Amino acid sequence: MNAPVQIKTPANPRYVDRDTLFEVERFLIREARMLDEERFREWWQTQLTEDIHYVLPVREIRMRADKKPVGSNPGAFVFNDNHAMLDMRIRRLETGLVWMEDPQNYIRRFVSNIDAAWADVDGEVDAWSNFIVYRNRRQRDETVVWGTKQCRLRKVDGQWKLAGRTILVDQRVVLDKNLYFFL
Amino acid sequence: MKDVSKLILEDGAVQDRRIYWDQDIYEQELEQIFARAWQFLAHESQLPNPGDFLTTRMGEDNVIVARQPDGSIKAFINSCPHRGNVVCHADTGNAKAFTCAYHGWAFGLNGELATVPLEHDAYYDAIERPRYAMHPVAKVDSYKGLVFGTFDASAPSLRDFLGDMAWYMDTFLDVPGGIELLGPPMKSILNCNWKVPVENFIADGYHVGWAHAAALKAIESPLTPLAGNQAYDVNTGLQVTTRGGHGFGVIWDAAAAIHPEGGAFRDWLAKRTPVMRERLGEWRSRFYNGHWDASIFPNCSFLYGTNTWKLWLPMGPHHIEVWTWTLVEKEMPEELKQMMVATNMMTFGTAGMLETDDGENMEQCTGSNRGWVTRRGKLYSGMGQVREGVHAELPGIVGKGIVCETSNRGFYRRWAELMSGRSWEEISREPHYAPNRQVA
Repeated sequence: MNAPVQIKTPANPRYVDRDTLFEVERFLIREARMLDEERFREWWQTQLTEDIHYVLPVREIRMRADKKPVGSNPGAFVFNDNHAMLDMRIRRLETGLVWMEDPQNYIRRFVSNIDAAWADVDGEVDAWSNFIVYRNRRQRDETVVWGTKQCRLRKVDGQWKLAGRTILVDQRVVLDKNLYFFL
Repeated sequence: MKDVSKLILEDGAVQDRRIYWDQDIYEQELEQIFARAWQFLAHESQLPNPGDFLTTRMGEDNVIVARQPDGSIKAFINSCPHRGNVVCHADTGNAKAFTCAYHGWAFGLNGELATVPLEHDAYYDAIERPRYAMHPVAKVDSYKGLVFGTFDASAPSLRDFLGDMAWYMDTFLDVPGGIELLGPPMKSILNCNWKVPVENFIADGYHVGWAHAAALKAIESPLTPLAGNQAYDVNTGLQVTTRGGHGFGVIWDAAAAIHPEGGAFRDWLAKRTPVMRERLGEWRSRFYNGHWDASIFPNCSFLYGTNTWKLWLPMGPHHIEVWTWTLVEKEMPEELKQMMVATNMMTFGTAGMLETDDGENMEQCTGSNRGWVTRRGKLYSGMGQVREGVHAELPGIVGKGIVCETSNRGFYRRWAELMSGRSWEEISREPHYAPNRQVA
C-alpha cells in the first residue's frame, strides 16, 4: 500500500538533498494551487500515478493506555480511494448538477512544515506537511480544516507524481457538513 | 407545557415550520421524546467482551454503555453525581472502573459508586454510596443484536416500541450469523434540525433523482436512469409506515444497485435468498433484495443495500452530529465486508457523493426558518396520501411507490402523540390513523 493508515517519522530518516526538497515543495504548493483553481481533471491526469492510494482514516478518541491500532481491519475511512474512485468523484463535479457547488465555493489551501526523506523504494520520497484549508460559501458559511499528511511521491519520466497520500484531520468530529474536497 | 396540538395537521401531512426552529419546542422534544422514547445505543458486536464500553448520547444526555461481567449490557449517564464532571472521555475502550478526573470518585462497570478518596478521613464514613451511582438508563434491551435504551421506566417494552417495524427489520437481522456494525463511526456536523435527516431517510424517495442527479450519473449503476427523474415507475417499490412512527421505502431488486463493483454483493444475495425465503417467507425475501431508506423513531436511520447506519444526535434546534457506521452480515467474507465499507464511505460517508448533496439541503431547509414570517408558514408532505392504505399481507400502512410521503406522515403523527405529553398508556388506548382503503 502506498498510503499507510498511520503517519510516523521513520527511526533514521534519510532526508533528501536541497534540490529534491525544493522539487517536493514546488510539487505540493503547485498542486494546492491547481486544486484551488478547480483544475481537478488536470490534477487527476498529470499529478497522480495510476496506482495512487488516497486515504483519510477515521480516528477514535481513546485513552493512551488503549493500544488498539488506528484503522484496525476493516476500519473506517472518509477517503480510501484508488485512481478510479478519484475519477468518479471528479466526474460527479463535472456533471454540472452538483447544486451545492453552484454558486461556486471558495476553497483556499495552505501547505506548510514540508519535509521529505527517501522512501524504502528506490526513487520514491515520503513527504510530510501540515495543511489548513479554508472554505467559504453562500453568504457567510465558513469552515476551516486543520491537519497533516504524508505523501508518497514517485518520479515518472522526470516528473514527480503522487502515488500515495495519508491525511489526518485533527478533529474527531469533522466540524463541517462534509469533506468533499481534495486535501 | 406548550400546546403543540396545532403543529401537525391533516394526519401528519402538514407541519408548522416552528418545529424546526423554536427553542421551547426543542426543549419539549428533549423532555417528551428523548427522555421517553427508546433510542439506539449500540450493536452488541461493538461490545464483545466484559468491560468493553462506548460513549454515546441520548438526546443531549451523555451516556456510557458497558458490557457487564455477566454478559448483560448496562447504560448510565456519563456525569459524576458529586460535582457533575464528565467521567469518561474515550469513545470506546475496555475498563474495570470509570474514574472521575476531578476528585477521583470511581464507579464500577455497572455505574455504582465503588471508591471515594478520603471516605473515612473526610466523609467520616457517612456517605451513602448507593445514592450516588451514575444515573442509570432506566431500561436497556436488545432486539436481535441492536441495543436500545430509554430513560422512561414506564415506556413499553422495546419489542412493543418497535412494533411491526421489527417484522420488517427481521429481513436483515435474521440472516444466519446476524449482522454487525463496522466503525469507528465517522462523525461530522450539520447545522440542521434533527428531524430533517430523519424525514429524508424515512420517506424521501422523491429527492433521489433530483438532488443526487450528479452522483447517479457519476456512479454508473442500474439507478443511473433515475437521474433528473427521467424514469420513474410506481411499481418499482413501495413505502411503509408502522405504528410508532418508524418507516421505510423500498426499491425492489436494488440492494446492490449503488455499489460501483456490485457483483460480489449480488452473488452473496443470490446465495442467501433461498435461505431467507425459507426463514421468513416470500415477501421478506423480496425485501432482502430491495434497497431500503429507513428511520427508526426518533433519530436512527439506515439504508439497507448501501448499508449505511446513521444516528442524528440533536445539539439544539439547529445543530446535529451525524454518526455513520457500516452494516454488514457477520458471515460475509472479509473482502465483501471491505467492499461494503468502501461503498458506504463513497456514498454516505463524510465525503460521500450523496451525503454531500443531502447535508446542504438539510441545512438550508432549517436555516430559512430563521425568518419570523417564514416560520409562521407550513410545510407539506401530502404526497400519495390519497392512495395509501392497508395491505392484505404487509403490516402497517402501505404507500404506493418509492416516491411517496406515507412514512413521513407516520413519523409526524408519532411525534405529535408524544409531544402532547400524554402517557404511553393513554396513547396506546386512543384510536389511531387508519385509512379505509386496501392497496395491492
